[in-house]
Amino acid sequence: MKPVWCAGCGNYAVLNAVKRALAGLEIAPHEVITISGIGCSGRLSHYLNTYSLHGTHGRALPTALGAKAARPDLTVLAVGGDGDGLGIGGGHISHAARKNVDLTYIMVDNSIYGLTKGQASPTTPLGHKTKTTPYGVYEDTLSAIPIFLAYDISFIARSGVDIDGLTGIITEAIRHPGMSMVHVVSGCRTFPAFDYKEAAGRFAPLPGDHDPENKLEALELAYSVDPAYIGVFYQVTKPTLGGRLEEEIRRAGAAIDGKQATMEQLLSIFA
Amino acid sequence: MARTDFSSKVDFVVRIGGEGGEGVISCGELFAQAAARTEYHVFTYITYPAEVRGGYSMIQIRIRDWTIYSMGGSADFVVVFDQRAYDRSIQYLKPGGCVIYDPDRVTTGSVKGGRLFPVPLDRIAEESAGGRRGKNVVALGVLGQLFGIERETLEQLLQDRFAPKGKAVMDINLKALSAGYDAGEAAGLSCPVRLGKSAPEKARYMMMSGNEAIALGALAAGCRFVAGYPITPATPIFETMTRLMPRVGGRAIQMEDEIASVSACIGASFSGVKAMTPTSGPGLQLMGEQLNLASMLELPLVLVNVQRGGPSTGLPTKTEQSDLKFAIYGTAGESPRAILAPSGVEDCFYQTIRAFNIAERYQMPVILLSDQSIGYRKATVQVPDLSNMSTVDASVPCESIVVPYPARIQIANRVEPAPDDLAQYTRFKDTEDGVSPIARPGTKGGQYLATGLEHTETGLPNYSPENHAKMTRKRFKKLRRLSRDLEKNPPEYYGPERAKIGIIGWGSTEGAIREARYMAEEKGIPVRHLHPKVVSPLPDRRIEHFLSELSQVIVVEENYTGQFAHFVKGRFGVRPIEVHKCEGVPITPQEILTAVEKVAAIIDEEEIRRVQE
Repeated sequence: MKPVWCAGCGNYAVLNAVKRALAGLEIAPHEVITISGIGCSGRLSHYLNTYSLHGTHGRALPTALGAKAARPDLTVLAVGGDGDGLGIGGGHISHAARKNVDLTYIMVDNSIYGLTKGQASPTTPLGHKTKTTPYGVYEDTLSAIPIFLAYDISFIARSGVDIDGLTGIITEAIRHPGMSMVHVVSGCRTFPAFDYKEAAGRFAPLPGDHDPENKLEALELAYSVDPAYIGVFYQVTKPTLGGRLEEEIRRAGAAIDGKQATMEQLLSIFA
Repeated sequence: MARTDFSSKVDFVVRIGGEGGEGVISCGELFAQAAARTEYHVFTYITYPAEVRGGYSMIQIRIRDWTIYSMGGSADFVVVFDQRAYDRSIQYLKPGGCVIYDPDRVTTGSVKGGRLFPVPLDRIAEESAGGRRGKNVVALGVLGQLFGIERETLEQLLQDRFAPKGKAVMDINLKALSAGYDAGEAAGLSCPVRLGKSAPEKARYMMMSGNEAIALGALAAGCRFVAGYPITPATPIFETMTRLMPRVGGRAIQMEDEIASVSACIGASFSGVKAMTPTSGPGLQLMGEQLNLASMLELPLVLVNVQRGGPSTGLPTKTEQSDLKFAIYGTAGESPRAILAPSGVEDCFYQTIRAFNIAERYQMPVILLSDQSIGYRKATVQVPDLSNMSTVDASVPCESIVVPYPARIQIANRVEPAPDDLAQYTRFKDTEDGVSPIARPGTKGGQYLATGLEHTETGLPNYSPENHAKMTRKRFKKLRRLSRDLEKNPPEYYGPERAKIGIIGWGSTEGAIREARYMAEEKGIPVRHLHPKVVSPLPDRRIEHFLSELSQVIVVEENYTGQFAHFVKGRFGVRPIEVHKCEGVPITPQEILTAVEKVAAIIDEEEIRRVQE
């Protein structure tokens, strides 16, 4: 299937990086669920040979959360853009983070609503003129990484759209047990909100001595504009949603594949 | 059958009223629980304020020696904690009825034909339990004495309910209970009906609320995923499921809102697990877009809407049947879905199982429309025969799957593609009945794309005129198939064939309509009654047949605009007489009887005119 993206779109790199990461990790496509939202990056689910669900605007994350909670045996990916993830669906991130659901959320941030042909998004730079901000954006810009840090997402990384770097980060994100957020800085070719080449020129790997468990240091590094750091800002290990729900089952005196209450036992509660 | 069903030796109503937070409901529920352990049937109706404290709170308990179909009209026994409860209850006292009241808080008027028993509940609670908080348990003791319930029975029920709160709380309650028994004896209360152990226990009954029955029905149907968000009056379904789901190895998750809840269920269902989300009207609206998505992706999904008074925040704790049109037609575009409406507490269990069977086999969202009156009502329910519960093989056609009932429960699952079909798997294949096998993630070769965009049979986006026409038809074929299958599993008619008056109702009005029919028959007016549990789609031929034999049709429902009547009018071209009640409280048999009598008078006049002409 030929992608609908414009020539030179960063989504091509994301698609290839995901494919490479899954192949590298030897995860078979039939063991993967990909859930995407609405927007250019939402089309990514169409081009992966996984069990793919292209749903509604802003709901990729809770949908993916349900899939992973119900089927912990599968690898779950969620994909969406800055409008999908930080605009309409922004409210879901903090709650998925609290549950630490073991999935990888790839947020392809091009700072514009590209599919609807160029309206301002939550990350469009202040003053930038778009079709819905003809006199320039008058709202402050959301800073994605500091928000994710505040939400305590257990794996937070940023990448540009170079395939090798992105493959490495997505590989680490999938491997991470818990919620992984990959913030991909990507330029829109047709409705550019910023000059990607110029932005990529400011990219620098995180300092070698950065401790990914040091949240305050990560926060400071995340606010740096020049250089704009790429790499893993934050990574901690804590119980995943799957583990937490298994613990619930144990506390209720049952087991996932073993001892479970029968219908007779449940009805007897009401006798 | 009707007359034995109607006449009974024991049939009385106890109403307890007071202020929210005084324990009125728990007093009534414990009493009802004790009564449910006897040979009698029990049926409760609860009304309570939307606030945590304050406001009028009331529980009505009907006890009968035969199946109970409605909350009943006036009360034989009224227990009031304060003046407001007295003022609001006294008009419902039966002639010769008995009022138990707190003389320190209630000034009574003259009660014609009634008996007044002052019992200073507050004072007794303070003296025995060291505070007014025990007054509801004092009242429970008074009722225990009145109906000859053994002290140990109520002590055990208190133990079950309050033991987790610690020994101190338990001791206070036991003292209050004992003081209540003594006070009842001192007041000289007595009643010919005994609810003690001497009454033979009826076999195989349990007591639960409609909300609990839905939770249990879902678990019986194989639901292993629930995601929800608290909303009155649906919360108890979610609470029950969060408690029981882990015990069967399933997952229960509280989400941040209704949109996230239904989204999580879509994700779970896509992954191959039966999923449900319980909500009420305002939540259903928020779920609208995702409901559409489930229709488009042809995903099984069960959504429960325990209706409450609307619009907007409306009457969160009161009942109404006003979400029907939204359930059938609401949301953008045309998305096929089935709507089921349980008629009572017991039916909640079976219609929930049926909702899952339909969702899984026809691959569409099913909305179960319950309401506050059955959600919060507790009633004695026959224990289903689980030895006759079985899973239906994929080869069994949909129309052969039995409508679940106590003696036989069949559980249906989604149909998966055969291994041979995976070589060239076509997820949305346009089959004869529209149903196309659905691959379970993890199955090699079954990968497919499910997109909310219009798509081809293989799942690829396609906006061509031919494709949109074909795929819309494909999705709606399943609904037509369901309608046709219902001809073979039709809704029952009740009442004699010679009747010229018919009543159509849906959902929780079933019991009141049934009792109104019995009352009309006593007065010599035969009435037929049709009560579809699947309210959309309807089995057309069956309904047309029902309508063709009648002179007048009455549609009874608890809303302002007559939503089901509109639906019936539009579908069958009839002009029914519409009986609406939109007061937040259930319609009574008497109100329906009044309508029937008026209609009977019209038919008589027409007959006379015809004969004269």
